[in-house]
Order: sequence, then C-alpha cells, then structure tokens
Amino acid sequence: MNTTSSKRISGQMNRQMSLTPRWTETLIMAFQSVAKVKGGLIGAIFISVMLLSAICAQWISPYDPNAQNIIQRFTGPGTAHLLGTDYLGRDILSRIIYGCRIAVLVAFGAVSLSSIIGVFLGVMAGYNEGKKFDYFIIWLFDIVRSFPQIILALAIVAVMGPSLVNVVVALAFTAFPFYGRIARAQTLSVKEADYVKAAEAMGQKPLTIILRHITPNIMAPVIVCLGMDMATMIIWESGLSFLGLGVRPPTASWGIMLRNGYKYIQVSPWMILWPAVAIALSMIAFSLFSEGLRVALDPKERER
Amino acid sequence: MLKYIIKRVLWVIPTLLGVLIILFSLTYLMPGDPASAMLGPRATPELVEELNNRLHLNENMPTRLGYYLLGVVKGDLGTSVWSGHSVSSLISSSLPHTALLAVSSLGVAAVIGVFLGAFGAIRQNSPISRFVTIVSLLGVAVPDFVAALLLVLLFCVKFPILPSIGAGTDGGILGIATHLILPATALGIGWVGYLSRLTRESMVDVLDSDYIRTAKAFALPQRSIAYVYALKNAIIPTITVIGLGVGKLLGGAVFVEIIFNRPGLGKMIVDAVYARDFPVVQGGILVATILFVLANLLADISYGFVNPQIQYD
Amino acid sequence: MNKENPLLEVSNLTLDYRLGKKRMRALDRVSFQLEKGEILGVAGESGCGKSTLGLSIIKLLPKIAEIKRGEILFEGRDLLNTSENDMNRKIRGQKISMIFQNPQNALNPVFTIGKQMTDILRAQSKYKNKKMRSSRFFRDQAIGRLKSTGIADPSARLSNYPYEFSGGMKQRVMIGMALSSGTSLLLADEATTALDVTIEAQINRLISDLAAQYGTSVLYVSHNLGVLAELADRIMIMYAGRIFEMGTTTDVFDSPSHPYSAALLESLPSRQARGKRLLSIPGIVPPLDNLPQGCSFHPRCKFAEDICKREVPPLEQVTDGHFSACFLDNKRGRKRLKWI
Repeated sequence: MNTTSSKRISGQMNRQMSLTPRWTETLIMAFQSVAKVKGGLIGAIFISVMLLSAICAQWISPYDPNAQNIIQRFTGPGTAHLLGTDYLGRDILSRIIYGCRIAVLVAFGAVSLSSIIGVFLGVMAGYNEGKKFDYFIIWLFDIVRSFPQIILALAIVAVMGPSLVNVVVALAFTAFPFYGRIARAQTLSVKEADYVKAAEAMGQKPLTIILRHITPNIMAPVIVCLGMDMATMIIWESGLSFLGLGVRPPTASWGIMLRNGYKYIQVSPWMILWPAVAIALSMIAFSLFSEGLRVALDPKERER
Repeated sequence: MLKYIIKRVLWVIPTLLGVLIILFSLTYLMPGDPASAMLGPRATPELVEELNNRLHLNENMPTRLGYYLLGVVKGDLGTSVWSGHSVSSLISSSLPHTALLAVSSLGVAAVIGVFLGAFGAIRQNSPISRFVTIVSLLGVAVPDFVAALLLVLLFCVKFPILPSIGAGTDGGILGIATHLILPATALGIGWVGYLSRLTRESMVDVLDSDYIRTAKAFALPQRSIAYVYALKNAIIPTITVIGLGVGKLLGGAVFVEIIFNRPGLGKMIVDAVYARDFPVVQGGILVATILFVLANLLADISYGFVNPQIQYD
Repeated sequence: MNKENPLLEVSNLTLDYRLGKKRMRALDRVSFQLEKGEILGVAGESGCGKSTLGLSIIKLLPKIAEIKRGEILFEGRDLLNTSENDMNRKIRGQKISMIFQNPQNALNPVFTIGKQMTDILRAQSKYKNKKMRSSRFFRDQAIGRLKSTGIADPSARLSNYPYEFSGGMKQRVMIGMALSSGTSLLLADEATTALDVTIEAQINRLISDLAAQYGTSVLYVSHNLGVLAELADRIMIMYAGRIFEMGTTTDVFDSPSHPYSAALLESLPSRQARGKRLLSIPGIVPPLDNLPQGCSFHPRCKFAEDICKREVPPLEQVTDGHFSACFLDNKRGRKRLKWI
C-alpha cells in the first residue's frame, strides 16, 4: 500500500470514527427542534431580544443611563420616561436596557469560562480514571462544590474588589466543578466506546482522542446545562451587585437598581418593580429555552 | 451499608481541608497588605504587626492551617477584628436564626411541593397539575431575593400588614412567627415550584414503569400503588435535590436576612465582608460549608437507604 | 374439556391505538376460545398484536388504546363491561394473572421481595373478605409460593432486594405470585424471552408443571416457535393484528395452511438443510396505521392472487379444529406451500 492511499484510508476512518461532522449536524438539528418546541421558541426569541438590547444599547435606549435629572426624580411611568425615573432622575428604561448588557456579559462570560475550564478538567480526569490526577481533580471539584455558591463568590469579589471582571471570574470559579463532574461522568462511559478503542488501537495520541472523539460526544448534557446556568449567573450578578459586591456604580446593572430601589422602597415602587420584571422575564426565557434544548437533544424524546 | 457510610464520611475530611486551604488563599488575593485592609483606618504599624502575628499571616500555608486547626479543636475559631468577640460566639448566636429560617421554608416547601407534584402526576390533566406548572414557572422566574423584595413591597409598603425588620424575638412565639412568614415564603416559593415539578416528572416516569404495571396486574389498591410504591421511587431524585438545595438555601438566606434585617449567619458573613473582618468571614464561611457538606452527606446516606442499589456502585 | 363453555371466549375483538392523529389497528376482529387446562400459544412477529391481546384480557391497556368492537367472556363473565373495581377485587392476581417479558424491571427496586409478595397476598386476602390475618401468615404464604417455584432457602430470600436476584430467579418469583391454586388463566407475555437459553427451558418447564398441577389455562405469547412447539397444545399465528392460522400444535406445525405460517416455519434454521440459504420473508410488516387493502400479507406473499388484494380473507376451518385465513385452496398440504 503506498502512502497516499493509506493516508486517504486513515483519513476516511478518522472522519467516520470521530463523529465530529455528525456532532455539528446534531447541533443544527437541535436548534431546529428547539424552535419546534413551543416554549423553546418563545425563549429563543426573548433571548435574542436580550442579546440585541445588549449589543445595540446605545442606539435603542432613549436616554443616557447615567443622565441625572433631579427635578424629575421618582416619577412613575409616563410619556417622557416609559418606566419612570429613579432617585437621581435617571430614566429607568434606559438603565434596564444597559443592565441587559451587563447581564448578558456576565452570563456569557462566566458560563464560557466555567464550562471551558470545567469540561477540560473533567474530560482529562475521566480519561485518566483511577490515576492520581483523577483523584486530585475530583478532590478539587468536591472542595469547590462544598461551598454554598454565592457565599464563595461574594467572598472572592469582596477580597479582589468589586468590578465586572472580578464578578465574572468569581462566578466562573464557583461554577466550574459542576461542568467538570458532568464532563467526567460522561467521559467515563464514552471512553469505553468502540470508536475510542479503535482510535487507541491505531495509536492516536491521547490529546487527539480527547479533543476529537471524546469531547464532542459528551457535550449534550453540558449544552443543556449552559442554558440554565446563564440564567443563574444573571441572578448571581444581580445578587452580588445588590449587596454592593458586584459591578461598581454608577454602571447600570439590574442588581444595583434593586439595591437603590430597596433604599427608597417607601418612596417609589417602580425602582424595584422594573428590574424585578426584567430578571423574571430573562429567567423564564432561559428556562424555556434550555427546556426546549433538553427536549431537542434527548434522543428518546425526539421520537415523540 | 455501614461501609458505604464510613466511606462517605471519611471523604469529608480531605474535602474540608481543601476548603480551609481555599479560604486561607483568599488573603493572598487581597490587593495590598491583608492586615492593614482588615484594620482599615485604625491601622497603625504596631497594630498591623500584632495582627500579622496573631493570624500568622506571614507564615506559609501549612503553618497557618496547623494553628487554625489547633484552634478549631479547642473550639476557637478566631476573634473578630472589628468587635473583639470570639467568632464562635458570634456564630452560635446567629446560627439559630438561619436554621429556623431554613427549616421552616424548606420543610414547608418540601411537604407542599412533594404532595402537589405527586397529585399532579396522578391526575395529569386536572387544574392541580396546571397549578403546579404555573407555580414552578413562577418559582424559577423569581429568584429568592427578588421575591423577597417584591413581598416587602406588597405586604410591608403597599399593604402594611406584615413586619419587615428583624426576627421578632421579643414578641414571643407569635412575634417570631409573623416575622418568619415573609422571609420563609420568599425562600420557599422557588422550592415549592421546583420540587413539585420534579416530583411530578419523576412520578410520571415511575407510574409508567414495569414494576408499577406488575403492581396493577396483581390488583394492589390504587392508593397504595400511588402513595407507597410509586412515591418511594419517585422521591429519590427529590431527596438528592434537597441535599444540594441546602447550599442554595444558605445562599438565598444571605439575601433574605439582609433584606429583612434578620440576625442570621448570612448577614453576619456579609457584614463581616463589608468590615473586612477576615476571621469572622473565614469562620462563618467554614461553618456554612460544613453545614452544607453535612446536609449533602445526610442526603446521600438517606438516598442509600431509600435506593439500596446505590451502595454497590 | 367442555366445548360449550370454554374458559375464555374472545369474539371479534377490535382495538385501535391513538397516537396523535394516527390510528393503529392493533387487533382486528380477533376471535378464539381457550379451554380449561389448555396451553394456547400465540405466535407472530413484533407488533402483530399478541401482547395487546393479553393486556386487553386483563384490562391493563394504555390510555391511548380504544376498544372499538368485540367481546371477552371469561368464565361466562363479560370482562369488557366489568368495572375496574371488580377487576381488582375479583379477577386480577386471583383468577387471571399476567407475567411479563422483562423480569429485571418487573419488581420494584426499593422494596424487598418479601414486602412486595406479602402486600399482594394481603390485598388478595382482603378482596376475598377473609378475616384479618397476621403478617406471619402472609410471610409463610409467600415462603410457600417461593418454594413451589424451586427457589432455594425461601425464608432468607424474602428480605432480599430484587437486584440481588438473577433474571431467572426474578421470573420464578413472578410465577410464584401469578400461579396458585385459584388461578384459572395465566397470561404469559414473552415470559422467557429475556432469559438465557438454559434458564428459559427451566422456567418454561416450571410454568407447564405448575399449570398442570393447578389446572390453569395459559395464554403463552412468544415469537419463539421452538418454545411454543414444546409447550403449547394449540397455536394461534398472528400478523398485523389479525389471526392468520389457528389449530393444534401438530396440525399447524406439520401442515401449515397459511403461506405466512409456512414461511415462518420454513425460516427456522433447523428445518433447512445444512448449507442452504436461510429463508427470510421479503418485505416488512406493514405499519398498523396504513394496512394494505385486502389481506394484510399480500404484498409479501409468494402465492398472492387478485382476490387477496381486494378482500380480507375470513378465518375458515381447514380440518376439524384447524383454521386458516387465506383464499388459497385450504386443503393444501405442506409441500405446496414451500417458499424456497
């Protein structure tokens, strides 16, 4: 057998065995099926709205979120300010829109960071099952998981100083073990699969095996987690900012708006109401979307 | 069974050790000198030096761990930099309030949630089932502290019928109870929603299973099938969730305590964080973590009782 | 054998499954009789309706099932019009028992065998309005049942959980619960399909021994013709919800009168000469929501004629006690229905 044909054959085998093309097809099919699930579509639409607001905040927001107007403070919903104004006369609607940007940044940032680190460590641990490295990683996961999430996050932010970046880092740190555990558990079963054994028998390097064969095939439950996790991250950010341990004022984040609203709760219900509604709606959206994702990615349910 | 318990308990020790290591590492994250940060405006070079020695901040990690553990064994978790009280006394005075809050909200939520869920599974197209879906959606949508704020808005400001400050300890049982209603509801609503939905899904799966079909083929009474046979199987995921939930509860409790000004563990930790009172922060987080780990341990062990197969995994 | 009063008489049973907009006809005008003490084998491929038949008799059909027509008479009682309450109080577990295919999942994993058995025995005792008995009584009764199925050390076994049993032992437990002196009819749905071959033989022998001992009739559903050849007195061959052939085991196996039966028998490896190609019937079973017009087998039938495509062949007598639903000259013997 000459070298070109043997390369072709092994290339073909690689493509067949790695399932990576099938994985992308699955993802596309998944999005299409999510849209079919009623709730998933609503969720997806709302999330797109949020993304849009986040990106185009400058253009859609009616006022500068930090523009103060002391004469107009504490107004309720009206023609000038659709949702009213806060204690410094700032337009609430604009602050909500900009708050969307913070929410999206934190959600995507923290979730990406924690999932990448978590999945990577989890797959490495699972692939080296039983060895010292595996035990060490499990130990690491269990330690971080032992902390009540928000308490660890607030301690980290408190110590590092409140800022957007620190919030993302702290949240990512508290969350990575969850992805790690899922990834590891999935890896344990996937690595026994025939196509992995075949790749090993052909002498492929462990790193290639991990990247090309194992990782794509464990992603399904991870992806489902991502959806809900983003919602949780939005809540945590709001919580941390509410405690003053999150984003720094005068940045408009929903958490900070709640904090201010709480101070003036006797005076104006609107300062609390609107960020609460925003949070609730984004939660419902992510929840519906990830439910749709779960149904779409679950092979059993797809047959229904 | 015993082997399983012992294995689980022993694993707790290295885990807690790791927890302490991470807590200690926090001081390295502090920009600048930890001791001066803790002392704040009162910092003088002598006080800084004294604090450094007391907390062994200049030693390496194993030494610090050693001193701290020695203290823990004696029951000494350090002293508050801000108030001078011992950390353990601060914790023991605040913990009961948090415990009361947690137990009342989770306990009530669990009972209501599980029964709602079981009912919703048995009568799938009834108004109860629809109610379960709505409540679970609400519970997801509104995180506990937002719920708490909205509740305060509604029941303390708009219609001032319930108290919003404090734990009501000077009002006797009635005082304590009225002061518990709003905070417990705020924490519990999410749980009722989640648990009822979880139980319902789990029950539906179980009711569809082969062994329930066997029970029906042998004419076991309907109620027994639903509430004894099916429920015991369906409750398994719920128990695990409740164990994990204690952690979320502690997190939620932090906010609820701050909003309602209840003197609990969460508020203690956050106040200490504001004051840069590191020994209190460390002691508080340690205790919260231990409680969380214990709750998970209990959940795992009772899971082992309920589902005997798991011991052999 | 009392031909005028059979134990079980099913007439014209027609049943649909509703899945969204689709309607699958799972049983079409199924009619047969079962005598006391008789073992009737029901054979056919997956999806032919044989499991549905058993579930209809004991009335444990899923909610999507709709009985359109027909009658099920058991000991003279109209089962289709018997209330759920009466089914539980008088029939299920007492007169009619059912055992299922996968013993792995048939027992509740979080309760001991003892608890599950004593619960069933206690419920049955209550239905029969017997006076209150102690737990000891039911425990002993459970031990007796386990003993009758050949399980060693039955009293220790009561405190075991299902996962501590092998598949064969679990099926023995099920048989112990299902078969007792009061059982008139046992519905066995692929009872040994999930077991190893050697265990399969033991369990089948157990079933036939106990059935003979208690005078129980058995409706034994299986796709394994070999098992049925040994166990069954009579055989019924089903396809896509219809009965194609019915008769004594000897009649059906030696002189199959329906092309489908002939093909099934011919496709068993033992009946081919060694080295020759195995027969596989061309085509696939039609979907139950889109059955072909006329005889549902005609698209795959080597002997199909014009009339087969237009009309549904009725189940008619070939010889005494031997019925076939085919338009071909019914007196044909085995030689003329060869597929290969």
